[in-house]
Amino acid sequence: MEFKLEAHRIVSISLGKIYSARGQRGGLKLHKNLLVSLVLRSARQVYLSEPGCPPEPPHAACGPPEEEPPPCTTVWAAGEPPPPPQDEAARGGPRLPGADCEGPRSRRCCCGCSCCCAAGGGEANPADCATAGAAAPPPPHCPRKRSAGERGQAGSPVKKPRREVEDPPPPPPGEQEDMDTGNVASLISIFGSSFSGLLSKEPKGRRRAPLDGSETAPAEAAAEPGQICCDEPVLRTLNPWSTAIVAF
Amino acid sequence: MQKKWVVIFCVCVCVFWWQGSNESLPSAAAVMFLKFSLRSVFYGAGGGNDIQWCFSQVKGAVDDDVAEADIISTVEFNHSGELLATGDKGGRVVIFQQEQENKTQSHSRGEYNVYSTFQSHEPEFDYLKSLEIEEKINKIRWLPQKNAAQFLLSTNDKTIKLWKISERDKRPEGYNLKEEDGRYRDPTTVTTLRVPVFRPMDLMVEASPRRIFANAHTYHINSISINSDYETYLSADDLRINLWHLEITDRSFNIVDIKPANMEELTEVITAAEFHPNSCNTFVYSSSKGTIRLCDMRASALCDRHSKLFEEPEDPSNRSFFSEIISSISDVKFSHSGRYMMTRDYLSVKIWDLNMENRPVETYQVHEYLRSKLCSLYENDCIFDKFECCWNGSDSIVMTGSYNNFFRMFDRNTKRDITLEASRENNKPRTVLKPRKVCASGKRKKDEISVDSLDFNKKILHTAWHPKENIIAVATTNNLYIFQDKMN
Repeated sequence: MEFKLEAHRIVSISLGKIYSARGQRGGLKLHKNLLVSLVLRSARQVYLSEPGCPPEPPHAACGPPEEEPPPCTTVWAAGEPPPPPQDEAARGGPRLPGADCEGPRSRRCCCGCSCCCAAGGGEANPADCATAGAAAPPPPHCPRKRSAGERGQAGSPVKKPRREVEDPPPPPPGEQEDMDTGNVASLISIFGSSFSGLLSKEPKGRRRAPLDGSETAPAEAAAEPGQICCDEPVLRTLNPWSTAIVAF
Repeated sequence: MQKKWVVIFCVCVCVFWWQGSNESLPSAAAVMFLKFSLRSVFYGAGGGNDIQWCFSQVKGAVDDDVAEADIISTVEFNHSGELLATGDKGGRVVIFQQEQENKTQSHSRGEYNVYSTFQSHEPEFDYLKSLEIEEKINKIRWLPQKNAAQFLLSTNDKTIKLWKISERDKRPEGYNLKEEDGRYRDPTTVTTLRVPVFRPMDLMVEASPRRIFANAHTYHINSISINSDYETYLSADDLRINLWHLEITDRSFNIVDIKPANMEELTEVITAAEFHPNSCNTFVYSSSKGTIRLCDMRASALCDRHSKLFEEPEDPSNRSFFSEIISSISDVKFSHSGRYMMTRDYLSVKIWDLNMENRPVETYQVHEYLRSKLCSLYENDCIFDKFECCWNGSDSIVMTGSYNNFFRMFDRNTKRDITLEASRENNKPRTVLKPRKVCASGKRKKDEISVDSLDFNKKILHTAWHPKENIIAVATTNNLYIFQDKMN
C-alpha cells in the first residue's frame, strides 16, 4: 500500500518537474528529463501493477475490496474525461475497449480514491483517510489532501474536490502547486492537447510559415512559442510519458 | 609511519654517508633522492590520512547571497599546476597563478592570485528553436604549454572556444611617426630617425579567442577532452561525440552517435567522455545507465560499437524507484597512468581496471547515508546533481565532493577515507582541517553531524588536484577554496 502511495506521489512530483522544465533557461535538459521519465515510468508501473485494495486495516482508507461501489468508478472516470481520446492519439492506434481500462481501473479506483487522499504525500494523510473512513463510510467520499490552504477542510470530505474532479476540462492550466489527482488531470489535458498538436508536427521553426490556421497546433503550443517545441526530439520522447499520464 | 618509509630513510642515510666518503657517486641524484624520501617520511606523502590538510586561501564573495552568475561551474589545474582556471555560470573564466616559491618562505607553497579574467561565452539565442543558450562554462581543459603563451579550451552548451592567454611585459617605445600616446606626428616635423626599443611595462595578461568551434552539437555539451596527440580533441553532448582538430573550426567528425531512429525509444544518454592519457586512439564515454564504453578509433570511423563495456550488475536488494537515477554516471576520469579509470555516480566512486569489464576493482561510498533519503532528494532536485571526481598526481588518492560543503578523499593504498569541510570558519592559513563525520542514524556523538542537518544547498560538485603537489582546489557554490598539505 505504501508503495502505491509513494508511487502516486512520485508520479505527481515527476509530472511537476516535466512541466516546470518547459520554462527552463537553456532549453530542456535531455538527461534530466530522461531520468524523470524513467522514474515516472517505474512509479507508474508500480502503481498500475499493485493489486487493487490490499486489506490493510491501519490504512482504513483503502477498505476491503468489496467496498468498491460504482460511484467510485464514476469519480474515477469523471476524473479523466480527456484521457481516452488523448491516449488514442498518443498510442496511435485503437485503444482496447473499455474492458481493458475500465475493469482494472474500477478495481483500482477504490484504492485510487484513497490514494487521492494521500496525494501530495505526507504523514497526515493516512490519518485523514482513516478518520474519513470511519467518519464517512462511503469510500468515494474519502477526504482528499488539498494544498496547505485547504487543509482545514480535510475533515469535511470532499464535495469540492469531487466537483473539481468531475468538472470537464479545460481546467485552469499551470497549477503546479497542487499536485493531487485533480490537478494531474489538468496537467494531462495540457500535455495531451500540446502533444496531440505536436505529434504530427515538425519543429517550431519550420512551423512558423504556415501559421494561418492550416495547422492544428493547440492554442497553448502557439501561446508559448518555442517553450514547448524547443526540442522536438525531446518532446517526442514525452509521448510515452503522456501515455503514463493518461493511465490515470 | 609506514615501514617502507623507514627502510627508505635508512637507505638514504647510508647513501648520504657513502656519498660523503666516496666522491664518485653522483651527488645530485643522491641528494634529490634523500630530499624526496625525507620529505615523504616526515611530511607523510603516503596516504589520505597521513596528509594533514590545511586551509590556504579562499576566493570569492563573502556574503551568503549568491549571485547566480558567480556560481562556479568548473575548476581545472593546468599541466604544471602553476595555473588554476575556474569557469562560472556567467560565462567568465578566472585564471589564478601560483606565486613563485619563495626560498625564505619554505613553510608554504606559493599562493594563487588572479592572473587573468575574461568573458569566455555570452548568452546566445537560437532563433530556429526559440531557445536561449546558456553562457555557463561547462568545462575547461588546458593544452600543454608549447611556447610562452597558455592555451585552454572552454565550452558552454553549444560552442567550444580556444583561448590564448599571453603576457605582455614590454612595449615598444620611440616610434618615429607616432607620439607616445599614439597620435600620429606630422611627417614634416621629423628631423631625425631612431630605432624603437622595447621597454618594460607593467605585466598585462591578455586573453584572446583563437578558434571558435560552433554549430556541431544539437544537444548540450557535457565534456571536452584533449587527445594525447595534442592536435585533436573530442566534445560530447547527450547523444553524440565529435572529434575536432584544434586548427580546424569548420569541420568535425562524428565518432559516436547513440541517437535512436525513434526518439521515443531513447533510454540512455552520454554523460561524460574522455580520451585515454596515453593512447591517442582510445577514449571512453559513460552513460546515464551506469555503463562505460571504451572505444578504439582505429576500429572504425564511427565508434558506435564499443571495444569494451564496463558495467557492474545492479544489486537487486538496493532496487528502488531511483535506482536508475543514482546509477547514472556523472563523471569519468582516467588515472594519470592510464591503467585505471574512475567513475562517479550519485552515491559512490568506482575505480575500474581497464582490463576488467565486469566489475570495478574498488568502490568507495561517498555518502551512503543518503540512500534512504532518495525520495526527498528527488523532490528537491538534488538527486540530479553531477558530482565530479579527481585523482591525485600519483593516482593513490581520489577525491570527490558531497553536501554541506563536505568533500571526501579515499586512499587506495591504506583504504582509509576522510571527510573535510570547506568553510570560512577554518580561515587561518596553516590551520589543519579537522575531519568531519556524518552520523547516519542513532546516537549522534559530539562533533558529528546528523543527516537531517546537512545543508543540501551547499554542495561541492567540482574539485581539482594539483598534478604534482598536494594542493587541492575545492569549489563551493560561489567560492574557491585552496588547501595544501602541512609542511614542516
